[in-house]
Amino acid sequence: MELKYAHVRCGDDLLAVAVDDPPAAQALAAHLRSRGGWLEVVPGIESVTVRFDAATLDIEAAEQRLTTALSHDIAPLPESEKYLEIPVVYGGDNGPDLDDVCERLGLSVDEFVAIHCASEYRVDMVGFTPGFVFVGGLDERLNVPRREEPRQKVAAGSVAIAGGRTGMYALSSPGGWNLIGRTSFTLFDAEASNPFPIQPGMRIRYRTVEGSGT
Amino acid sequence: MSITVLKPGLQTTIQSRPRDGLRHLGVPASGAADPLSMALANRLVGNDLDVPLLEAALLGPTLRFDADSSFALVGAPVAARLNGRAVALHEAVSARRGDVLETAATEQGARLYIAFAGGLHADVVLGSPATYLPASLGGLEGRALEAGDVIATGARSAKPLRTPREFRPAISGAWALRACPGPECDGAAADLFDVNWTVGQRADRMGLQLEGPTLAVSSGGRMPSAAVFPGTVQCPENGSPFVLSVDAGTVGGYPRIAQIARVDRHLLGQLRPGDHVRFLERDSQAAIDELRQMHDYWREWLPDIDAVI
Repeated sequence: MELKYAHVRCGDDLLAVAVDDPPAAQALAAHLRSRGGWLEVVPGIESVTVRFDAATLDIEAAEQRLTTALSHDIAPLPESEKYLEIPVVYGGDNGPDLDDVCERLGLSVDEFVAIHCASEYRVDMVGFTPGFVFVGGLDERLNVPRREEPRQKVAAGSVAIAGGRTGMYALSSPGGWNLIGRTSFTLFDAEASNPFPIQPGMRIRYRTVEGSGT
Repeated sequence: MSITVLKPGLQTTIQSRPRDGLRHLGVPASGAADPLSMALANRLVGNDLDVPLLEAALLGPTLRFDADSSFALVGAPVAARLNGRAVALHEAVSARRGDVLETAATEQGARLYIAFAGGLHADVVLGSPATYLPASLGGLEGRALEAGDVIATGARSAKPLRTPREFRPAISGAWALRACPGPECDGAAADLFDVNWTVGQRADRMGLQLEGPTLAVSSGGRMPSAAVFPGTVQCPENGSPFVLSVDAGTVGGYPRIAQIARVDRHLLGQLRPGDHVRFLERDSQAAIDELRQMHDYWREWLPDIDAVI
């Protein structure tokens, strides 16, 4: 395979590789992790970042290790057959940004929910906090940027949109996405045999359910 | 063997080595925010450098020893008393069954570490005993200590050690942090390195807000989320940068304008609101060389320093 990846230095012990899309990032990350030699291999939406042990490896040696790994064939991310349905209570206290988002998009809340529940989605990435899920495939009509001012506290189970994706907050945490609803689906359980039930590449669909109306 | 918490302090948690290698699943490092102080404290009581100990933020706890034990205080300067008798930082102290250790508010710096001979028992979750509060992982039920908690300790007696003078880190209200420009550090964001910053009120294990001039960034809120790490300096569109610390999320969508070098990341655990910060620009290899110089210096007292810093 010809060399088609460029990397950048992100610090004294961090290198990042740019890729086209989330499936490519997940595939490359799996490839680098399986080859070993890195302290962390972290896929992003259009990048993979590796952290190396600067106590033993110079920056140029790390770059050489990365370049060598990139010159090998990289297996694509396996297609997932698994389909998950995620129940969402939209709007109100569960989705405090929904009215504002609808106003900016020129949609009614009912129109927004109908569009959001009509699409089929694919999990792009898991990360940020344990079990936070980045879901790709958001309808173009629902595209809004992140909030300019991040919230200090977002409730666990929040479903949010930003930058053409739906995100799901497994935990209460700070966050900058626009909150549209909440789900009761368990996104992370450290005690479970599989703490991370949602994995990159899985397919999901959203379903609107009536809330308790807190 | 155990200790009982009489007063928990402001936010006291069990910390240790970080939770490494799981960032691709969104699991942050956690662990001691100031791992150098953790290592020094454990060293004094004869422990491996990264075994579980207490990390207290800004206001220390009051503890009762339920058996004879040894402990050591390292980190932010603080007034401490064992049964009313003053106890110094940086030395191993013997406690008898029933003794009460009181620690006050830190005078400078943010975090006090209290190590116990034999280490503390803690829940190992996802590969580490470190407490990660946002997901209630590790430590004692994944939470900060509360009055009445009883924590089991290992059984070991410690030799009466003191940290040599030359291995006692200075903790002040002004910090110089070596850092490399980040991947989204365009011309205007480079002003980060040219000015003095003040640590804002939002300063905890997640991260530290920096107050100073407004930086110009231009991602339009559409930067694709990418990996971030402890020490990453991000700047949202409001132009107000913040530094990520040990509990911060693993990916972020705000421009990464700098990365604090590994050699200085442990200092983040001692920054407190109102402290002054200056960033010193380094290229990657220069920062790596300085890391190795730091390791060479500390190895005499902490042979395994490169496993914790």
